[in-house]
Amino acid sequence: MGADPVAGDMTPGGSRITVAIVDDHPVVIEGVRSWLATEPRLAVVATGEDPDTVLAAARPPADVVLLDLRLRGRMVLDKVAELSGAGRRVVVYSEHSDSETILAVLDAGAVAFLAKHEGREHCVDTVLAAASDRPYVPPALAGAIVGDRRTGRPVLSDKEREALLLWFQSMSKASVARRMNISEHTVKQYVDRARIKYARAGRPAATKAALLARAIEDGLVRADEIGN
Amino acid sequence: MSTDLAGGAEGTVTATVERGPRIAAVVIAFGWHLAINLPAVLGTWSQYRLPWVVGAGWLVFTAVGTLAAVNLLRGAPSPTWPLVGVLLLVDVAVFACTPGPLVFDSANFGWATLGWFVVLLLWGRRIPALVAVLAVGAAIALVGVLALRGGGAADLSRYAMAVYGNATLPIAMMIAVNLLSTLAGSTARTVAARTAIETERAAAGRMHQTRRDRLAALDRTAGAILTELAQGRADPADPAVQRRCALEASRLRRLIAESDDVPDPLLHELRACVDVVERNGLPVDFVAVGALPPLPVEIRRQLAEPLTTTLAAATRWARLTVVGQPDEVVVSLTTPGTSMIITEPAGNTGDAIGRAGDDSSGAGGEVEYVYEENEELVWVQTRWRAT
Repeated sequence: MGADPVAGDMTPGGSRITVAIVDDHPVVIEGVRSWLATEPRLAVVATGEDPDTVLAAARPPADVVLLDLRLRGRMVLDKVAELSGAGRRVVVYSEHSDSETILAVLDAGAVAFLAKHEGREHCVDTVLAAASDRPYVPPALAGAIVGDRRTGRPVLSDKEREALLLWFQSMSKASVARRMNISEHTVKQYVDRARIKYARAGRPAATKAALLARAIEDGLVRADEIGN
Repeated sequence: MSTDLAGGAEGTVTATVERGPRIAAVVIAFGWHLAINLPAVLGTWSQYRLPWVVGAGWLVFTAVGTLAAVNLLRGAPSPTWPLVGVLLLVDVAVFACTPGPLVFDSANFGWATLGWFVVLLLWGRRIPALVAVLAVGAAIALVGVLALRGGGAADLSRYAMAVYGNATLPIAMMIAVNLLSTLAGSTARTVAARTAIETERAAAGRMHQTRRDRLAALDRTAGAILTELAQGRADPADPAVQRRCALEASRLRRLIAESDDVPDPLLHELRACVDVVERNGLPVDFVAVGALPPLPVEIRRQLAEPLTTTLAAATRWARLTVVGQPDEVVVSLTTPGTSMIITEPAGNTGDAIGRAGDDSSGAGGEVEYVYEENEELVWVQTRWRAT
């Protein structure tokens, strides 16, 4: 699927994680490129406004695709599904950060959703996590999951829901940890586990399978929890 | 909504307009029954074939009439047709007991009074129902007249006059009342519909004006900073410029969100607080997810109030979030620092957990309040849970 197996290990000496940026605004591409440039493990290998052209031009192949959800006035959810189905790790970023859109993006198989106003750190962290098929939940995504009222939505435990809620509110894992009387690591576990439950929901996609597989490997969830 | 309003107004106006005729109908029926029938019954007592049957019949009329009158004045339904049947039976019994010479006299009270009492029972129904009952009454009377006095021409013409006299007034009254209530209803409907349209128009006009004002303000302030940036007079690296940009962006975002969402009181109230601090130059990130259940004003106040002080004292930025579920609403405010020492009740961990306000009785649920201040941020959270 074009992913560099070493990239996920994020060793500074290893090959860098390759990123493609798809956006129809050159100024946004430049902005995101400059954000990613602050992280030496990341290399932007292709940019442009057409996903297919950009991905075909990427040399070496892009490990992660940062995709603007709205291209030339059109929501490209179908493209998200197509790329995710083909195993591309798509990180969707958009100014459309309403819950329905975010949940639809997750359903389509995107590895992560990033609201455009969420800034550099979240962007870099999201791309790093995506490259290793690990979940990353920026606050807007946490809010969408916490506010999810759809029937058939994944069932979260009380702790998972509370961790997501507090993370959405405070955007500080340290503060959440203090509030819940647990370690930051445990906060991250609860949040990530909630995110993984969404990888089991909706239509299957290669990226969802990869997220689940990595979550089992990392001990975040047990294989028998994935059953249905 | 306008239909409900019109329907409600129609009912209210109709009830008010009909009150007078209802009272009049009750007074006529009982006036007749007490002032004319009672003396006639008592005066003829010894001549009745079975006086006690007639006396009992008079009492039954009184009882049925009272029940019908009370229900009519209260607007409650009566068991109409059984009671009409009872009145007709009494009518037959009184006929049977009345001596021949007194058939057209007030002593034979059932026939003459039937109409007024039936009006009380058939109030609000269509005229043919009343006509049908009066026709049955007339048929009973015809049988009675023929049996008691034979089929003489003079008796038949007196019979016809009596039928006419007994029927016309109650029917006329019912027609008048029905017309009145129809008119009142349609007038009220028209007025209510017009009021609803005017209210909607005024509300839409006001909303439009507010939006235009806001757009105009945005045009001035956002337009100004954009112009300065374009002309190179404002330096994007300047924190003051960045803060202005952030402020304008957040105002723009909120304007867009406002046109999306349905009027929701809690969000509306929180937005008003946010408005004030934004006017003072504080960028506020205001995010609401989920759907808010309808909450009484007291609960909304308890949810919003504790946050406003901290919000007003916030110095650099603030994040206000609302998460709604059918049985839970959580409002949270975080800010990296405030310009004042907040005198909140502090436990030994620096946290305060308790209920905001001391009375949530009858409001359906409790509001929990959490205040926390650490080196990283000030965090205020209120949470309502349905009980």
